[in-house]
Amino acid sequence: MSAEATRRIRPVTDRDSAAWWERVRAGELTVQRCDSCGTRRFPARAYCHRCRTAGWSWEAVEPAGRIESWIVSHQPFLPGVREPYVVVMVRPAGAPECVMYGNWRGAEPPHTGQRAEAVFVRVDDELTLIDWRPAD
Amino acid sequence: MRVAGFRDRTAVAGVGYTRFSKNSGVSTLTLACEAILAALEDAGLTADDVDGLATHRVGDSAAPSVVGPALGVHRPSWHLDQFGGGSVSHAVIGQAALAVAAGVAETVVCYRAINARSEFRMGGTGRGLPVSPEVQYQAPYGYVAPPQQYAMFARAHMAKYGTKEEHFGQLAVRQRASAAKNPRALMRTPITLDDYLASRWIAEPFRLLDCCLETDGACALVITTAERARDLRRPPVLISAAAWGGGDSFLSGGPSDVTTTAAAELAPRLYRQAGIGPAEIDVAEVYDCFTYSVVVQLEDYGFCAKGEGGPYAASGEGVPVNTHGGFLSEGYVHGVNHVAEAVSQLRGDAGDRQVDGAEVALSTAQPGYILPATSALVLRKG
Ligand SMILES: [Zn+2]
Repeated sequence: MSAEATRRIRPVTDRDSAAWWERVRAGELTVQRCDSCGTRRFPARAYCHRCRTAGWSWEAVEPAGRIESWIVSHQPFLPGVREPYVVVMVRPAGAPECVMYGNWRGAEPPHTGQRAEAVFVRVDDELTLIDWRPAD
Repeated sequence: MRVAGFRDRTAVAGVGYTRFSKNSGVSTLTLACEAILAALEDAGLTADDVDGLATHRVGDSAAPSVVGPALGVHRPSWHLDQFGGGSVSHAVIGQAALAVAAGVAETVVCYRAINARSEFRMGGTGRGLPVSPEVQYQAPYGYVAPPQQYAMFARAHMAKYGTKEEHFGQLAVRQRASAAKNPRALMRTPITLDDYLASRWIAEPFRLLDCCLETDGACALVITTAERARDLRRPPVLISAAAWGGGDSFLSGGPSDVTTTAAAELAPRLYRQAGIGPAEIDVAEVYDCFTYSVVVQLEDYGFCAKGEGGPYAASGEGVPVNTHGGFLSEGYVHGVNHVAEAVSQLRGDAGDRQVDGAEVALSTAQPGYILPATSALVLRKG
């Protein structure tokens, strides 16, 4: 199952998210941390959903997490992609209240609750994506 | 909202359909007009009586501002062009009922017209991506379509509660058996569990037969006051409750439990509004974009305990579910055909698939996995 095969859609970043993607490009997995109440949040946006204040800081989190769920996609939803591929839903270890997605880089399919680590995949000069692989 | 002030004050007075197909050969405007005219005929009304129009759509269909004038409804006193998919399907009808109950309009047609197979494939294949801040974190990994999203949640439910693919399969088999009794249904040939297990993978754990049909067609409902509906052609079906509600999303701190939907939050309010509980529901038309969406909603609407939805759905021994065959086998008109089937059951005109003595029905929307919102109706024989 080729992870590269799914790399057909570039993320359309927005004014809230562009800085997060910049950090991924620099090899850093981050979430926002509310300066007022400490709540972590992802995806990036200005206001804390808990205390509704706007002050926040980037917080680098360990590039590791646990598999919340996973699928093997077969239907060719993307033009030209015929090979099945695995998509995982991950809760980052440093912010388990958040969920992130990626393709799976493991010889075996993942399982729910499995520990995983992030793999930064440089697509080109402008774009780096995050995949996940089994943690040792 | 003052609950007692809304309960049973409005009614569904007419139901209309187009033929369901894989290629209608006509525009969504034509489909909308055909279904609306059929619903008005069913009610014994004409377009001259209409003073409100409402639909939900995702940029894929004719708007009320187009359909109204095309039917000679030039000055509707109320209309709603709701952006959204299946999660808002029942909210549209609920809002029409609110408008009627408030006296803003007297006769509203709610419709959904789609060429979801021949023009704008609802399953995600070959269409543009939805507008949502979440898409950028998913699409680069090939995670782009509702069957994938629902498969992800279904897997979590299987892992947590031991729900099995055979549970999904038995549900699909039973819905097909219901469709065999429904002359409108697109898929009427019975299937077996072996057929289910042999159908090709779409997104594991989902096979083809876990997924709803992609359908061309339209369905329309006429909403008016309960008082007026009693004087019209068909037996009125009262709108006892209409609720909409929200759940967890990426932006609310992330879903803490992906095996529970927004329906769990909505259901108590819905039942309180109707003055009943799940035990009083005689028939349930449950949004079945995928088999799993039925399983999780049977739990979240209180028909069985959390985690027991798989065996409950598979057994067929609980509340009758998706008597028309559902989206899996009748056709996919984005929620409105579920309400129409509930109306038919409560009128007692569902023919071979009639649930004996049905007096109260639940009809539900997409339970809020894709957008964190859902909606539902309780209907009652008038
Ligand atoms: Zn805060």
